[in-house]
Amino acid sequence: MLNLIRFIQKNHFVILFILLEVICILLLSRSQNFHKQAVMNTTNNVVGRIYEWGSDVGNYFRLKKTNEQLAEENALLRQQLSVVTDTTQNTYLINERDTIYEYIPAQVVNNSINQAKNYIIINKGKLDGIKPDMSVISPDGIVGVVSNVSSHYATIISLLHSNSIIGVRFKTSQELGTLKWTTNNYRYGMVEDIPTHLVLNEGDTVLTGPYSFIFPEDLMVGTVEETYETASGDLNRAKIRFSTNFATLRHVYVIKNLYTTELDSLRAKF
Amino acid sequence: MNRTIINIIRFVVLVLFQVLIVNHIRLGGYVHPYIYLLFVMLLPINMPKWQLLLCGFGVGLAVDLFTGTPGLHAGATTLMAFCRPSILKLVSGNQKFENIQEPDLGQLGGVWFIRYSVCMVLVHHFTLFILESFSFKLMGQVLLRILLSAPVTIFLIMMILYLFSSNKKKE
Repeated sequence: MLNLIRFIQKNHFVILFILLEVICILLLSRSQNFHKQAVMNTTNNVVGRIYEWGSDVGNYFRLKKTNEQLAEENALLRQQLSVVTDTTQNTYLINERDTIYEYIPAQVVNNSINQAKNYIIINKGKLDGIKPDMSVISPDGIVGVVSNVSSHYATIISLLHSNSIIGVRFKTSQELGTLKWTTNNYRYGMVEDIPTHLVLNEGDTVLTGPYSFIFPEDLMVGTVEETYETASGDLNRAKIRFSTNFATLRHVYVIKNLYTTELDSLRAKF
Repeated sequence: MNRTIINIIRFVVLVLFQVLIVNHIRLGGYVHPYIYLLFVMLLPINMPKWQLLLCGFGVGLAVDLFTGTPGLHAGATTLMAFCRPSILKLVSGNQKFENIQEPDLGQLGGVWFIRYSVCMVLVHHFTLFILESFSFKLMGQVLLRILLSAPVTIFLIMMILYLFSSNKKKE
């Protein structure tokens, strides 16, 4: 026993080093797992507040651009509204889809685009009805999925995350694919598992797929930029340009599916 | 002022500067400067080694909390703190630190500091980017990131040093 203590005393530097590195690796490997970021959760409020101070300052410099964007979106919504009100009075709801989803506006307080795993923090949380697994969109296209919520803030796994996988569909052909972020460039994503017979043109629109429990169908994702054929005749890949500009992301909407609990209970049965 | 208080202030200022400003620098997606390393680099030279490790771990973890990557920066800075005594020996050779409390630009000179920061930054960036990709598959990309980011980090660190050490001389 005495020897052991003497050994520890002698090598305390190396032992402490190994201990700390083991802690780091453990934390790191735990955070590889999507939804178990316990450390993040507890500190989210403090971190969120500090980020909000920072972005408050930055927001003043972007006021003009933000105004323009909001005005543009207003115009678009007005246009859509006129379509709705022009039809006969009893068909206010264009289709059923609009009734399932509720949109919660939020502001981005922190955003990263140059890591291998990017996260976004927004200034709405549990008290505003945000829950994990809700989808997040910007006026231009999809943004990510809520991973963690504290009372006033929420962390979003950005599309720019090496683990992010989203089912997508090509607008013209209705064929499905899987969107991943393997390009490490914030402008581009990679759609994989594309059937070989499908001919894609540059500029083809990519939308969210129909089988997602998270994203509503037919949301804008991006446009095809470049296609790659695999030599073995397997499934093809295509590089797409995101319609959302992640570098200037400010205003986003969290989409709440009003039937989530029902869907979940159904899903739990298989 | 007390050394400890100066170091605490340095810790807070550098971490906030890193996460609120430097993390938003976007140069082509490959350049990620990390100036918070300056905290570990400027810790007192005769500090007990275990304290050095804990300081390195602490500053890394603080940055991790902001970037949402628990363990990533902490792992890299802990290794950097572990290597610091050997790097100091390697860089200064026969030079002794008898009258010097902490690495100081005025007393040790710019060339010494550049050599020192090159070693420290390379250790840190190498660990960080490998841990980040968590595999050796993307080795080419990792090396590119290191080669592009390290010069920017070193440049920023030297800039900050020159800015602040000239203030000290006036006092």
